[in-house]
Amino acid sequence: MEQPGSDTHLHNRSHAIFGDMSFFSKQMRIALRNCGTIDPDSIDDYLQARGYEALAKVLTEMTPPAVIDEIKKSGLRGRGGAGFPTGFKWELTAREQNEEKFIICNADEGDPGAFMDRSAIEGDPHTVIEGMLIAGYAVGAQQGIVYIRAEYPLAVQRLERAIVAARAEGFLGENILGSSFSFDIEIRLGAGAFVCGEETALMHSIEGFRGMPRPRPPFPSVQGLFGKPTVINNVETWANIPVIILDGAEWFGSIGTEKSKGTKVFALAGMINNTGLVEVPMGTTLRDMIYDIGGGIPNGKKFKAIQTGGPSGGCLSEQYLDTKIDYDSLAQAGSIMGSGGMIVIDEDSCMVNIAKFFLEFTQNESCGKCTPCREGTKRMLEILVRITEGKGEQGDIEKLERLGTTIKKASLCGLGQSAPNPVLSTIKNFRVEYEEHIHQKKCRSNFCDYLLTYTVTDKCVGCTLCRRVCPSAAVTGTPKLRHEIDQMKCIKCGLCFKSCKFSAITKTSH
Amino acid sequence: MATPHEIVTQKRAAALQRLAARGYDAPSKVFIGMATCEIAAGSKEVMEVFQEALKGGLKNVYVSQKGCFGRCNLEPTVDVIKKGKKPVTYGKVTVDRAKEIIEKHIIGGKAIAEYIIK
Ligand SMILES: Cc1cc2nc3c(=O)[nH]c(=O)nc-3n(C[C@H](O)[C@H](O)[C@H](O)COP(=O)(O)O)c2cc1C
Ligand code: SF4
Ligand code: SF4
Repeated sequence: MEQPGSDTHLHNRSHAIFGDMSFFSKQMRIALRNCGTIDPDSIDDYLQARGYEALAKVLTEMTPPAVIDEIKKSGLRGRGGAGFPTGFKWELTAREQNEEKFIICNADEGDPGAFMDRSAIEGDPHTVIEGMLIAGYAVGAQQGIVYIRAEYPLAVQRLERAIVAARAEGFLGENILGSSFSFDIEIRLGAGAFVCGEETALMHSIEGFRGMPRPRPPFPSVQGLFGKPTVINNVETWANIPVIILDGAEWFGSIGTEKSKGTKVFALAGMINNTGLVEVPMGTTLRDMIYDIGGGIPNGKKFKAIQTGGPSGGCLSEQYLDTKIDYDSLAQAGSIMGSGGMIVIDEDSCMVNIAKFFLEFTQNESCGKCTPCREGTKRMLEILVRITEGKGEQGDIEKLERLGTTIKKASLCGLGQSAPNPVLSTIKNFRVEYEEHIHQKKCRSNFCDYLLTYTVTDKCVGCTLCRRVCPSAAVTGTPKLRHEIDQMKCIKCGLCFKSCKFSAITKTSH
Repeated sequence: MATPHEIVTQKRAAALQRLAARGYDAPSKVFIGMATCEIAAGSKEVMEVFQEALKGGLKNVYVSQKGCFGRCNLEPTVDVIKKGKKPVTYGKVTVDRAKEIIEKHIIGGKAIAEYIIK
């Protein structure tokens, strides 16, 4: 029977099957190795792809400390955003003397537009289960919990089926595979607040309290769910574990850069030809990502920026295109790796508006527990709104910078600590756009409505349509003659622009 | 007593047998993307076309769902893996295209170049 990818290494099953597809040539699939190549609802498919062999290996021939050593040696860092070394996290929990410990899979995935974790679970739920099992064995935990948002019904359903199938085969439950190790997993549904992805808020939410963060330390590894030592990792982190166990820390450590090992999954979106889910070795450049894998910018438009890390991340300009995708290089450039959001922005987008979009999101999602985040983001947003409405003032940029820096320093959790990043990074890399908005009342991308001027050009045949659609009676003119717009009355709604059949109305930002 | 490793090896052998019994070794295998994104793009209807064809007597074809392949803008995607042939992935598969794929590729043996993702 054909068993692609089952010869030596687990990764790149899709490559083994669909070798020369250009979309894959610069990718490397470790976490997503089975996504799109097996039936996710069939444990037989997973077993065929060497599923649960890593679990068998640790139970047969590795002591718990040896497992932790292997993960440490691999250099794996958490894929949920912060990039904490996974092996060290496990070790902290393993060291604790406690009858009860927990393993949590963070599948909250609250970043707007992110779908890496959803796809991973929908495509290969068993790998998450296997990863959690291995950690349970390594740290001495018997209970696992997957915290997943209720908005992901199909992922929840696949995971539920996988858990049932794994129990039936004896991979979950008492005395797994005849060993003395027992472990089971349950699913908890989250209501979808962004802050509930933060580990301490997530645990509060599981405990039945409001999902609000608490100060750390104590860290969850020592005092987590219900006060017990808890390992919490992201979906993608879990998906890497079986591969590290089977193919070895040394092999895994040979992929990537010095301090960032392995691969990272990204949801590539925005103004790019090949939108999609990609997994690349750490160290791939942003340029390769955009032009080779992503196929470049559509409609002959020019690249302007790339946003990584979602609402906690930043926007990088063209000069950073050769930046390597790894934790440290991205941070140095002024953005973050984040959990895998990657949005390509072309010349038609206004950077002030992009910053405003992300800040609106975090401002809305702030849980309100601490003042810098709750009030500070509100003040920043007010300034941004003013700027995009043409009411920006001298000193606004400095105010944003000051507020942003303070919020980052003084907020309790990662939400507040990172909320100003989209603003600060666009100020750093696209300051001139802010200045144009404030001083010249100009939006170079013709995006900010309030900064636009609508004018009727020579192409006007006097059809009177715009005059009739204008809600503000700003258009005047007699039939068959060129019409005119009274700028004092115009409320910049754009209806005339959209309605004109002769493209006779232009919108410009002077 | 068997080691966990031996037990999993047995389980895999049993899984392979079950897969074979379900027709996994068929000369043609079809994998249809059935993740949230693929379904939103219309893959359920595509799946139905294949299921109907099986009911209607299409033989020697193993039809399965699969997870997301990552080609958001080209979904729904359908893989056709024929023994001894280079596997192909079709993009933007509609109900009509699915029928065409069954006729021309699966039965007729000729891949339809214009729908193939390069
Ligand atoms: C506001 C906020 C939201 C977060 N959302 C997520 C999330 O959706 N998924 C996730 O894995 N981690 C999220 N995190 C990070 C978690 O707190 C935690 O660091 C992570 O789950 C640890 O797993 P890892 O080490 O495997 O990355 C979030 C953090 C903050 C501050
Ligand atoms: S930083 Fe924001 S989200 Fe985090 S605890 Fe404070 S108010 Fe809540
Ligand atoms: S933009 Fe709106 S308000 Fe201004 S002239 Fe056109 S229709 Fe009237």
